[in-house]
Amino acid sequence: MRWRLAIITYIALWLTSALAAYEEFHELLTFRPLSDGKLAARFTFTTSLNGTHPRDPSNLADEDQSQHYTVFPLALGQVLREYAVTELHLNLNAGKWDYDHWGYPDEPGVGTGAELWAWMGESATRSVDERWKGLRNALSGQFCASLGSLDDQRTTSPELTFRPEGSLPSSGGAHRLRHGTLPSEHVCTENLTPFLKLLPCKSLSGIASLLNPHRLFDTDWHGLSVHVRYLENEGIEVRLSFQSVFDPVRYTGGRRAWSLQSVFDRVIDRSCPVARSSEIRVAIPKEENNAQITPDFHNSDGEHAIFDVLNASKPLDVAMNWVNESAFDYNTVLSGVPLTHISVRRTLKGSSQSRGRLAVSITNNMPITIQTSYLESMPWLLQFYLHTLQVHSNGVSRDDLVSIVSCIPSVPHARPTLFQAILTLPPKSTLDISMDVIKPFLRYTEHPPDAQRGWDLPPAVLVPLLPANATVLTDHPELSLSEHKMDGFGYPIRSPRRMYTPVLLVDLATPDFSMPYNVIIMSCTLIALIFGMVFNLLTRKFTLVRVSSEP
Amino acid sequence: MALVLRAKFRRWLRGGDDGIAAKVRRKNQINDIIWKSLPSIRLSLLVAGYAWMLAIPLPNLGRNTYIDENALQPGQVNTYWNWPHVFRADRYLESLEQLRDQNSTNAEWAGYIKHEFRDLGIHVSTQSYHFTNASGEYNGTNVYAVLSSPRASGAEAMLISASRVSLNGNLNLRGIATVLSLAGYLKEYSLWSKDLVFVISDGYLEGMQAFITSYHGADEPNLDADPLTLSSGVIWTALNIDYPGHSFSHLGVFFEGLNGRLPNQDLINSFRLVSTYTGGVPVLLYDHRDPREVPHLESQLSIIPTWLPDVVKKQDAVREYGFRAKNILKHVGYQARGQTNGVHGLLHRFRIDAITLFAVPSSGPHGFHALGRVVESTLRTMNNLLEHLHASFFFYLLVKPGTFLKIGTYLPSVILVSVSMMFTGLGEWTDARWYEDLSKPKATDKSVAASGGIILLERPRPVLQALLIMLATHLAGVALFYIRTSGFAGLHPETTSLTLCALLALPPLFALIVRSSPSERSAPIASILKAANLCLASTVISVTSVLNFSLAAVLAVLLGVPLSYSSYKSALPAKIGRYAIYVGLGLGWLFCEKEVQRAIWNWEILGVWFAPFVCVVYTPLVLQAGIVSLLPS
Repeated sequence: MRWRLAIITYIALWLTSALAAYEEFHELLTFRPLSDGKLAARFTFTTSLNGTHPRDPSNLADEDQSQHYTVFPLALGQVLREYAVTELHLNLNAGKWDYDHWGYPDEPGVGTGAELWAWMGESATRSVDERWKGLRNALSGQFCASLGSLDDQRTTSPELTFRPEGSLPSSGGAHRLRHGTLPSEHVCTENLTPFLKLLPCKSLSGIASLLNPHRLFDTDWHGLSVHVRYLENEGIEVRLSFQSVFDPVRYTGGRRAWSLQSVFDRVIDRSCPVARSSEIRVAIPKEENNAQITPDFHNSDGEHAIFDVLNASKPLDVAMNWVNESAFDYNTVLSGVPLTHISVRRTLKGSSQSRGRLAVSITNNMPITIQTSYLESMPWLLQFYLHTLQVHSNGVSRDDLVSIVSCIPSVPHARPTLFQAILTLPPKSTLDISMDVIKPFLRYTEHPPDAQRGWDLPPAVLVPLLPANATVLTDHPELSLSEHKMDGFGYPIRSPRRMYTPVLLVDLATPDFSMPYNVIIMSCTLIALIFGMVFNLLTRKFTLVRVSSEP
Repeated sequence: MALVLRAKFRRWLRGGDDGIAAKVRRKNQINDIIWKSLPSIRLSLLVAGYAWMLAIPLPNLGRNTYIDENALQPGQVNTYWNWPHVFRADRYLESLEQLRDQNSTNAEWAGYIKHEFRDLGIHVSTQSYHFTNASGEYNGTNVYAVLSSPRASGAEAMLISASRVSLNGNLNLRGIATVLSLAGYLKEYSLWSKDLVFVISDGYLEGMQAFITSYHGADEPNLDADPLTLSSGVIWTALNIDYPGHSFSHLGVFFEGLNGRLPNQDLINSFRLVSTYTGGVPVLLYDHRDPREVPHLESQLSIIPTWLPDVVKKQDAVREYGFRAKNILKHVGYQARGQTNGVHGLLHRFRIDAITLFAVPSSGPHGFHALGRVVESTLRTMNNLLEHLHASFFFYLLVKPGTFLKIGTYLPSVILVSVSMMFTGLGEWTDARWYEDLSKPKATDKSVAASGGIILLERPRPVLQALLIMLATHLAGVALFYIRTSGFAGLHPETTSLTLCALLALPPLFALIVRSSPSERSAPIASILKAANLCLASTVISVTSVLNFSLAAVLAVLLGVPLSYSSYKSALPAKIGRYAIYVGLGLGWLFCEKEVQRAIWNWEILGVWFAPFVCVVYTPLVLQAGIVSLLPS
């Protein structure tokens, strides 16, 4: 009896270890003190499924192979295989990313609201659009978000801006991009709970135990994201990430010193046993030498202090302090130069409910000419008059600086506008682009609840591109526009630096929904009066009557 | 029995056997009655309209204000503004007083305020502007700061402003200090759902006009302002803080905007609740204190004439009437002229609901502490909004704090007058069609309407001539407007006024030499002109009444009787006399130099339509009535 039990245990253990060889789980937490006293924190949970590849869309009609995972999230795996998704990115963000003072984010997808984009192979049995619909509904249920509203009225395929971050399998048909944004979506606890369920240690141990919703959702900016990509010769990688910007000055009443305890109200008590690696990295400020990081860190790559959570003594409370700084002085940083290559501002001018003007002003902060792609994927709630496009560079009209790559006009009630252009930005100058827009009249059933709020419009996305002559780069090493740096696990992060503008709110002509009763009464009365008159005329018999003056 | 009665009644109603003929006869009879009593109907409508206007301040009219938008929840929060923040405001005030004592330039003021905002860690920028108009130039520098609220998308915003010059003409130092201290305080909270935009505008109205038009990209022909470098989202609500004195006893609410636009009443109501119950500060309409609360100042504050016997004056109903009437008259004074009484008024046209909180100067008991709490709690209320303030709360007449009249209780007064004018005009038009035939002794033609043996014959009506005269007067009005707003008029106002008055008043006198039409076969131009004039005036009044009730009420008072009773059937001296009265009524305003200048300034800088309206609509209407009285019958 005993030896049988021992054999079963042995076989089970062997199977687990054999399977685990294909699956790896890494966790990483990076901190970056920002120039305006804030603190950017990013949690990255990477699960890789080695030696596998995405489901071939041509086999969608056949029964799928059975799925057995140990640390890879099954709930996500099922969705990916059901709809044969090669690459998937989901971002749920709240707040406005301040590029000028915070620099580029570690995770590029920082547009306010929900953003979902996926690359899928074409298939004869189930079309890409059909699977896209299924995918967003499945994710909508999975993450408790209203992604189901990312319907055809908001879906575009802006292939210039959203390149695949992994590789696309060469087998199977051509791959197609589907992209949609929902700026009015708010991220909160109900999205974090299912997010945590995808982690092998949930929020019980390891770095994930710091994910305290009370603190995370009180930050200036926060967002969670799910990234799935296929890396050739390696396998499928799922990266779950939570990014937030804390304001320690607000918590401490003037100082920017922080610790895990002060920002998360938690410390790390035990490590996650299934994690292959578990690190906390704190960026060391370059200019300031009075910054002090405690406890002593295990390792450093020159830019970061690295703590190995697996081997560190528990409880672990990483802290950072600025010696001899009693209060943070804003005055020097807010007047400083912007931290990004370009600064973008987008506004909707005009106060009427029928027309307006979309104005985008892009400042090149660099001493060289750079190019940037510009994407507007605008719901039909705002329709562009492309012929009114005006381009001014430092006040001088320069139409030659914009080359329109594609413009697919919107179809009311059906399809959004897709506008892609390449802009050339002269050095140290501001490019002003403006265009007349009209605000259409909605059917009354199309208005959302709280109709007088208006409609949130998705952000525009800009991608600064490499200068045409790459030799300039050697003179300006800071100009490398896409991150070729390796991340903690040796994978090249091939994500380009996308910049999202803040969302806009458009005020459309809205009926006064608080008075439907009055409106019904009014229109019924009018119809009754008209009907009465017409009916009277139609049925009346005209005769000649002689009227004497006296009866 | 009942059946028989019913059948009898039906037969009577049908008019016996000859049913249809009887119906037609009855209709004619009713028409006759109405036609004959038209003069008394007109008069009674006119009297009823004016009586209704006088009844608006009656103590038993009106109802208590209430909150219509449930999301607002005013006064439901704890406020944390406290003495440390008051201390900070006092420090700001000291620095601002230094700037004042050193006669600092606009740029120095802006530099100081900008520095303070930056110290607080709020993104701040300045905007220089330059206005030019006929009477001069206005330069200044605004400082504005945008606090991007944590977690908010930046698509919506609330605006908190203070202009450097208060609405009573003093410097608004304490208002600026309040805004600065508030900015630092509000930044400590993460509960804001909208961005907070702080504006310290230069001058009284000019600065905010430059800021808000640049913010919305609206074109202003005579404005040269820097483009804004910071932006936020759609501004929904705004509070303007005006605190010119040392301390204050009451918070007055000023709300009238440009061109008679009013903010949503919910904003005023929530502010009143918050101020009364959270801040403990009583609220006034404007700076009007109730004379009954301050007996030693009663004679100064009350508008009840002193010659009234004490028995009447001391009646509570009379005093209440006087208090309400004073508020209404002030409201009409602002709204009719389309004039704003504070910085808030410039924002309404961009669909921003805004009011000014005016700290009524006094020796006590309130200061920064109470004001900060009131503003904090009011902002929290505005923060609760999920959508623009909407519903029907844009039409109201506040008669005293906490009491208002709904549109249905004040609008009919003006409409009655307008209906009476329309009836008069239509009556005149119909009358002009007929003339009495004296040549034939007896009626033989049955188609001619006959009554009392008088035979009336149809005659043509010279519509075209009358319309041309009207067109000419309106064109003259346009010319009047352009000349009076030109640069020359700005330099020589009195000469221009006299010349313009003469140029407009003298040409119509040529009407005196127009000979009376040889026969009665054609209607006199005067009657057609009078009819068209009344119909136009009535339409103008009723259309205006929904847009700007006060303006319509003033028009109804000024035009109602004079236009209805213009007459062309009098002797020459009487004609001249009547005409002189009309000229006085229509052009007399040219000699109120201060008013004219203010109206022109409002038009040129703020785009208030009152000046062109008076020149192009009002004056021509009165002149037309004057021409009617000059023309021969």
